[in-house]
Amino acid sequence: MENGSFNNLPEESAEDLYENAPFGYVSFLADGTIFKINKTLLNLLGYKKEEVVQQKKIQTLFGIGGRIYFETHFFPLIRMQGFVKEVNFDLVKKDGSVFPALLNVNQLSASKPGIFSYRTSVIDITDRKKFEKVLVESKEKAEKATRAKAEFLSTISHEIRTPLNAIVGIGNLLHKTSLNDLQKEYARILQLSSENLLELVNNLLDLSKLDAQKVKLEERVFSLKNLLEVLIHSFKIRAAEKNIELKTEFPEGLPDHLLGDPVKLNQVLTNLLGNAIKFTGKGFVKLEIDLQKSEKEKVGLQFSVSDTGIGVPADKLEAIFQEFSQASYDVNLEFGGTGLGLTISQKLLQMHGSELKVESEEGKGSKFSFFLEYKLSNMAPEDHRRTRVNEVMAQSGAKILVVDDNLTNLFIISQYLQEWKLDHTTVNSGAAAIDAIKKKHYDIVLMDLHMPKMDGYETSTRIGELEPNNKPVIIALSASGRGDVSLKMSRAGISVYVPKPFDPAELQDIILHFLNENSKDKPGEIAVSSTNPDTKPSPDNLSTEDGKGAFSLTRLLQVSNQNPDILQKLLRNSLNSVQRFKEEFTDAATQSDSEKLDDLIHKNKMNLHYIQAEKLADAVESYRKLLEDSEAHQRDLPNKKQEILHEFEKIISGLKAIKREDLS
Amino acid sequence: MESKTTSPLKRNNVKIFGKGTQPMLFAHGYGCDQNMWRYVYPAFEKDYKIILFDHTGAGNSDETQYSFEKYDTLEGYTEDLLEICEELGLQEVILVAHSVSSMIAVLAANKEPQRFSRLILIGPSPRYINDGDYQGGFNREDIDSLIEALNSNYLGWAANMAPVIMGNGEKPELGQELTNSFCRTNPEIAKHFAKVTFLSDNRQDLASVEIPTLVMQCSEDVIAPKEVGEYVHKNIKNSSFSLLKATGHCPNLSAPEETVEIMKEFLQKSPAA
Repeated sequence: MENGSFNNLPEESAEDLYENAPFGYVSFLADGTIFKINKTLLNLLGYKKEEVVQQKKIQTLFGIGGRIYFETHFFPLIRMQGFVKEVNFDLVKKDGSVFPALLNVNQLSASKPGIFSYRTSVIDITDRKKFEKVLVESKEKAEKATRAKAEFLSTISHEIRTPLNAIVGIGNLLHKTSLNDLQKEYARILQLSSENLLELVNNLLDLSKLDAQKVKLEERVFSLKNLLEVLIHSFKIRAAEKNIELKTEFPEGLPDHLLGDPVKLNQVLTNLLGNAIKFTGKGFVKLEIDLQKSEKEKVGLQFSVSDTGIGVPADKLEAIFQEFSQASYDVNLEFGGTGLGLTISQKLLQMHGSELKVESEEGKGSKFSFFLEYKLSNMAPEDHRRTRVNEVMAQSGAKILVVDDNLTNLFIISQYLQEWKLDHTTVNSGAAAIDAIKKKHYDIVLMDLHMPKMDGYETSTRIGELEPNNKPVIIALSASGRGDVSLKMSRAGISVYVPKPFDPAELQDIILHFLNENSKDKPGEIAVSSTNPDTKPSPDNLSTEDGKGAFSLTRLLQVSNQNPDILQKLLRNSLNSVQRFKEEFTDAATQSDSEKLDDLIHKNKMNLHYIQAEKLADAVESYRKLLEDSEAHQRDLPNKKQEILHEFEKIISGLKAIKREDLS
Repeated sequence: MESKTTSPLKRNNVKIFGKGTQPMLFAHGYGCDQNMWRYVYPAFEKDYKIILFDHTGAGNSDETQYSFEKYDTLEGYTEDLLEICEELGLQEVILVAHSVSSMIAVLAANKEPQRFSRLILIGPSPRYINDGDYQGGFNREDIDSLIEALNSNYLGWAANMAPVIMGNGEKPELGQELTNSFCRTNPEIAKHFAKVTFLSDNRQDLASVEIPTLVMQCSEDVIAPKEVGEYVHKNIKNSSFSLLKATGHCPNLSAPEETVEIMKEFLQKSPAA
């Protein structure tokens, strides 16, 4: 280009730049009176300059909500800080239509002291708002979908757990029968695989709950020593099976009574120890605790689990904390598992504001460690001496009240309590529970939540009111959910929630936990007794010819510990309740009363569960749905009813046909 | 375990200064915090003990003490104000209240009349919504549209929108230092306070006020129109009325000199008992 040719270009004035700027500009006085406005904004608003300048106040360009906002928020702000950034106002055009705009205000330098004026840039953000809306909507949609998936996962896991528990139970029973070597090996694999599967499902359930943020940290007093002892006791057995040593190293003066969440700590340690034993072929696994911080009111503990196992390659160290990832495909083939355990542990520790760290050398071993702080409980430390659980329980002198409207449940629970030598009373309604509490003090109440008339929540609340200073510990037992104490429960004063069908050992642990808390003057160190006394082999054929496919006795055998006397009582109870159910069903069906039927289904849920009469349970449920359904399907009802009555008959005659001698 | 109740001085970010002994307590209005008194209180520092505070949920108050239950009526704020007086052992208090705080002041004065010597109400309104013959200036729908405005128009749009879209953990890299630094309020609290403020009705409480009161009314105030100020004056027995030249709803910010002058005049006219 020739020198000087720039001189010939047209001159751009500041005025021109102002008028045609990509933003709207408007300047106003302290009272809002507009004294200058650019073309861009006039075009946006549809006004002529003379209609606005000295005619309108800035606030009259806003809707009424915006005007209030201007007076209460916007104006004080510009007056105090001299600028306002990014306020979104809806501006009203001359034709009455509205568009969203983003305003940035700056104070103009005063021409006279005390006279304030401001210039605002106005950006039309109609498009941005649209994108924003779509973005927020799709985010919400995605979150909703994730939640739905998590819920589905949680439901399905729960549904899988129930039959899986049965498979595990049968595997255990099968193992105790006389088998040849090959059968024994099959049974062992069955047992192992089903246990792995159960663990996987439990992990999935935990993970989905963690992801759905349904897991909350609890704060309660717990005994660290008890927790460690139970843990070590069970892992000693597993380590011994693999011929590896389980070492422990705890510091002098390890505090015992801590305030925190023992369940989460136990879960993390269980996981780490389980992994360590799984991945260690020879050598040892060591659980170490280091007292890193000891203050008057709190302690900082460094936990570590080290092993002499296969280790983790350096490049896989990060990946092992991710969901569904193990160090290698081969690892999965050889050792099984899902790799969810570490993810769950990591998430549980993150909830504590901590982190799981790993050091490892391939082929030499690994060390997982984490740091947790606990408040010290001001309860006096216990003097522990080694005693067996049952003795502790028996010596505790604790009084237990069992409340359940289902007689079979009552019977089964009382069987266990008897075995644990615990003094207990059973009642079959909330009202009866209240009466019992009025008569004498109980230390622990085992409470069914779903009862007619006064349910478990209400009964618990009333018990709390009766004995505000010496409240018994209330342990809820219920067939829905998985072990979390809901807000509703904690409001009713329920401390723990044990899902039904319950694991006797778990219930025993929980009762023990509270007995320990209650009886500090009765020292006793705890080791979990090795389970099940020797049991009789189970009968080969568990269902009779008549009831074939309609029900099964495996579950009853399990809960009765194969004691023929107990089993017979259970059978009698079951027979009675099925007969009553049949009559009540017939009534409800005749009256087409779906609500009543719903009640019946709930009331009989556990009964049918014990005798595994799933077919009947499903049929009654679908009958109830049909009743609620439109008339279109109602002509199917008579057939369906016949089917159900037939199923009832099959079970009743089947149960009747079982002979005393079949049971031993 | 019982949680310790925080001191009202900490909860409400109470600031005390000034050379005088008679306390002058300033209560800020809706939408702002104690900063809004910055051009007014210096004129009184020499002769009075100045006490500034933020309503719970506003400014630098302890937001964790906010409860949707307690502050669901103006009584919750009234309790706070009286607690501050109690904690500091204030007597003969000149209570200067702007906007919604005017009614908080009225409630406080009715509850503990012995504590206060004078009320100065700036832009008071006992009821914002029209009701039969009473003209508060707004319809119910107007208030709903304010709530709507608060939903989307919140100060610092980008800084507030970003977390909604990107999640709370992500700090938007948008010039944080440029965001508005005064009168920041948690949007949820701001919305709740707006509802409580604009839906309140304290017309019945005016008649019980016995304390000498000054009603300061701005010209052209959309929030509290002149008729409303006159209504307040008419219904508080011992009150004087002053119409300011200042426009808008915040004369303490837009016309501090005039505001101070009228306040001083009132305080001289009716000296403390």
